[in-house]
Amino acid sequence: MDSITTAASVIAAGLAVGLGAIGPGIGQGSAAQGAVEGIARQPEAEGKIRGTLLLSFAFMESLTIYGLVVALVLLFANPFAG
Amino acid sequence: MEPLLASSPVTPANHSRKGDSVLCASNEASERLKLSGDLESPEISSVDQCSEYVSLQLRIFRINLAITAFAVLASILFVDINAAISLLLGACSGIIYFRLLAKSIGSIGKSSSSVGKVQLIIPAALVLVVAKVPELHLLPALVGFLLYKPSLIIQFLLEPSAQKKSA
Repeated sequence: MDSITTAASVIAAGLAVGLGAIGPGIGQGSAAQGAVEGIARQPEAEGKIRGTLLLSFAFMESLTIYGLVVALVLLFANPFAG
Repeated sequence: MEPLLASSPVTPANHSRKGDSVLCASNEASERLKLSGDLESPEISSVDQCSEYVSLQLRIFRINLAITAFAVLASILFVDINAAISLLLGACSGIIYFRLLAKSIGSIGKSSSSVGKVQLIIPAALVLVVAKVPELHLLPALVGFLLYKPSLIIQFLLEPSAQKKSA
């Protein structure tokens, strides 16, 4: 792998993880805030709130995982490496 | 002067739980049910809510196992054995990831105020292992890892019918 491809892959990996984590991070923070407030107001609905939070977090975190996988593929199984 | 209550109110001190299923173990729930004779007490309600969360995890786990078994059998029949092994490895990683995520969500508001990031080690380790072992394929492993999403969608679609049955 030549040096330009290596440098571009490393930069792209960093951008993929960094930019891909911004949106899910903000979303998870606000979702967790809402869930904790909801549990504090209605402790009897704790199970349902946690279940819904689990589902929404699983979908939100998959966006982070996409970026992570792209970064790891670029770093360890680069298809552009000659 | 404190008011006399039939049962102690639900306070954070009463809930010394740190995780989800570990803290909501069935023997603990049964002990609480035995100790308290009042069926309307807040403790029992809290135990019910906790067991509801655990049962949701168990339902998703069962659906995930069924989808994984179907996908592995289909890949053995229609692709090859290496792809099936990769798919199975990815599916196991997905189950572990989902378990860690559920545990992290179960501890929100009790022992931590944010979701942990420990579970993100799992897909990273999966990609690293698949990249290092030449017999494994990357694409089936990633598809297997994401097999928890169909199980979530199925559970989400089945949930209103389950609520109607219980009502």
